[in-house]
Amino acid sequence: MNMKIHSPEGDLMDEVVELSSTTPLFSGGKIGVLENGKPNADLLLTKIAEGLAGRIDAKFSITTGKGERANAATACNPQVVGMLAEEVQLVLTGSAD
Amino acid sequence: MGENVGMESQSQFLELSDEDPDTIYEVFEKHGWGDGLPLVAPTDKRVTEMLSGIEASPEEVLTVLPPRGGSATYRSVAVNAVLAGCKPEYFPVVVAAVKALGDQRINLRGVNTTTHPVAPLLIVHGRAVDEFGFNSGLGVFGPGNRANATVGRAIRLILLHIAGAVPGPGDASTQGQPSKYTYCIAENQKENPWDSYPVTIGVNSESALTVHCGENPHNFHDMESENIERILDKAASAMTTFGVNNACISGGEWFVILCPEHAATAFDQGWGREDVSEYLFEKARMPAGRFREQFNLLAWADWMHSLSDDELVPMTQQVENIKVLVSGGAGKHSCVVPSWGMTRSVTVPI
Repeated sequence: MNMKIHSPEGDLMDEVVELSSTTPLFSGGKIGVLENGKPNADLLLTKIAEGLAGRIDAKFSITTGKGERANAATACNPQVVGMLAEEVQLVLTGSAD
Repeated sequence: MGENVGMESQSQFLELSDEDPDTIYEVFEKHGWGDGLPLVAPTDKRVTEMLSGIEASPEEVLTVLPPRGGSATYRSVAVNAVLAGCKPEYFPVVVAAVKALGDQRINLRGVNTTTHPVAPLLIVHGRAVDEFGFNSGLGVFGPGNRANATVGRAIRLILLHIAGAVPGPGDASTQGQPSKYTYCIAENQKENPWDSYPVTIGVNSESALTVHCGENPHNFHDMESENIERILDKAASAMTTFGVNNACISGGEWFVILCPEHAATAFDQGWGREDVSEYLFEKARMPAGRFREQFNLLAWADWMHSLSDDELVPMTQQVENIKVLVSGGAGKHSCVVPSWGMTRSVTVPI
């Protein structure tokens, strides 16, 4: 006999976040790196940023940490976010581990 | 009970070919669901029964759980409570735990996705303990009690299915830990010489639930001592280790869960639970230089950074981070449960 059961996952949240457009609007812009303090995150992300800059006619600008006392699991210092917003148009970062 | 219960149109269903327990096992494995153990089929009848004590709409969202961003509705939470084997009367405890996990202080995104083995420890307090049959005594962290086992398991299934904390894509825990299957205990108020833990932090409710995201329990035993200082020296010894996240993150909390006999020794000497915390804050310390030898990055409070290498550093930056409660049965084993570090415990009414 057939049996019908509920899915255990439920729905995703209603809020839909649209991704910003990138390459077409980005040519000639500056790229920054926000590294999260994990070992080699700065090296990996900077290499990616440099490579990306070369491919989309952009300029690699800056690598920064999240701010004093911040770490991979905590929020970025608002001053750092503000500095990046003023300095660059694209930020590469890593989440948690 | 709201009239929406059982509204099939608002829930996704799966069709199984038969009622054989192996069939649901296979279907869940195919979808990447489940915790690897047998599951109770979440039929509409069982889910409706699970929701039978809830006044709100089954579709009401309790919270949104990261990293997947799944909406934890009463219904989706009930589905997982059924899967875990919960009785309907346990459901308010599961709901309270989900609400607590949605509190920003828990930092659930970090808890779920870190490489650390952290799991949410649920601690049930007050009237709910006896009313629903939670074990607060002998073997409290162990097997054999349906309420403890299934409520803890329901939360893990909710984290797997709704939050998406699946090992790999949603949970990067390097080794995991056994408490990621189920991790639920109860405060032993009958043998607690002090006020119930929630009362001491201002939660005055007949029943309450604490969620503390931490490691497995680190046991310490003292069968001999007749003074609490000598007993707590073992607790301090268990705390002063470089292997825990709390060693390099000074904001971390420690739950010190005393067995009734150790608590009685403290009480008989006139100690309150705050005296236990203060003693451990003073005794669980190591020289600053040793921390600096062991770690490149120390997420310490500013005042700790200014200490010289010879000065002693406590295992947490403030005494309030050492939480004391009583659980377990006869015998002289207690434990400490260090946190993941970047999380705060939350206590909510049930």
